[in-house]
Amino acid sequence: MAHQAHAYHMVDPSPWPLTGAVAALLMTSGLAIWMHFHTMTLMSLGLILFLLTMYQWWRDVIREGTFQGHHTPPVQKSLRYGMILFITSEVFFFLGFFWAFYHSSLAPTPELGGCWPPIGITTLNPFEVPLLNTAVLLASGVTVTWAHHSIMEGQRKQAIQSLTLTILLGFYFTALQAMEYYEAPFTIADGVYGSTFFVATGFHGLHVIIGSTFLAVCLLRQAQYHFTSDHHFGFEAAAWYWHFVDVVWLFLYISIYWWGS
Amino acid sequence: GRRHTAVQQMARRSICSSARRQVENKVPQKQKMFQEDNGMPIHLKGGSSDALLYRATMVLTVLGVGFTLYELVKASFPQKKD
Repeated sequence: MAHQAHAYHMVDPSPWPLTGAVAALLMTSGLAIWMHFHTMTLMSLGLILFLLTMYQWWRDVIREGTFQGHHTPPVQKSLRYGMILFITSEVFFFLGFFWAFYHSSLAPTPELGGCWPPIGITTLNPFEVPLLNTAVLLASGVTVTWAHHSIMEGQRKQAIQSLTLTILLGFYFTALQAMEYYEAPFTIADGVYGSTFFVATGFHGLHVIIGSTFLAVCLLRQAQYHFTSDHHFGFEAAAWYWHFVDVVWLFLYISIYWWGS
Repeated sequence: GRRHTAVQQMARRSICSSARRQVENKVPQKQKMFQEDNGMPIHLKGGSSDALLYRATMVLTVLGVGFTLYELVKASFPQKKD
């Protein structure tokens, strides 16, 4: 049996990049078909394929790292770079929506009444549910840090408890935000105020759901003894992502909810 | 004395009783299974359920490409409304 004479990871051939690309094709074409012909079949098929691809691809990464030992220090370094670059790209994604918000709100057009918030818009009170949401996410940042220290110190039960608490706080934020969306006195169709509000906070909410899912996977892995006190990069990646989601909210809160009200 | 030991035993029991449904550490078994030199690629190395899920995903992939091409060709030729 041949053994590698280097510390890097030469992956086995895998079908998931192809299935993922096809999923992207189906989701985008499906979106166009839905918009024009009101059928959701193609888009739904794409979504199913996307979920199947993510499940199997990341299952394989866990197998390669935790069960086969391929995640040596140089490999882990690459994974860290990768996660940081990905989060950076997401920062730029949100930057665009903040640009749109400030473009419209710093120089409000005559059509809006020359003011921000525009005439006819009843904004949400930033000191009610939005402030609670801020507290919830900040608290979750504390609990995820507690979870990290627990893992590093080999405290299995505390790690499980603090990680569970973090996820519950994430769900609480999502539930509160869903209620706010339902009760809001304005919609996405209410001019540029509605557009900027719901697109920016909507994408943020999606990222909270993604982050909560990532943390939930980490919880399952922690329960199954995958993490050791000095090797738990999957958890660190999830924690970085979670802090990023928290910081985006802080910018949303200050800009759109507070300054923009 | 004996009373002190009984209190100690009770305290120990109540601390342990909460952790009844313990998750077993199956990582060493998994490590053995996935390091077996059987030539299987990682996405199929877990057994028959891997193969089933892979086949289902591939079927959806191929059908999906076909369905997309069909819908896009159909959308390219406007249907005459009666």
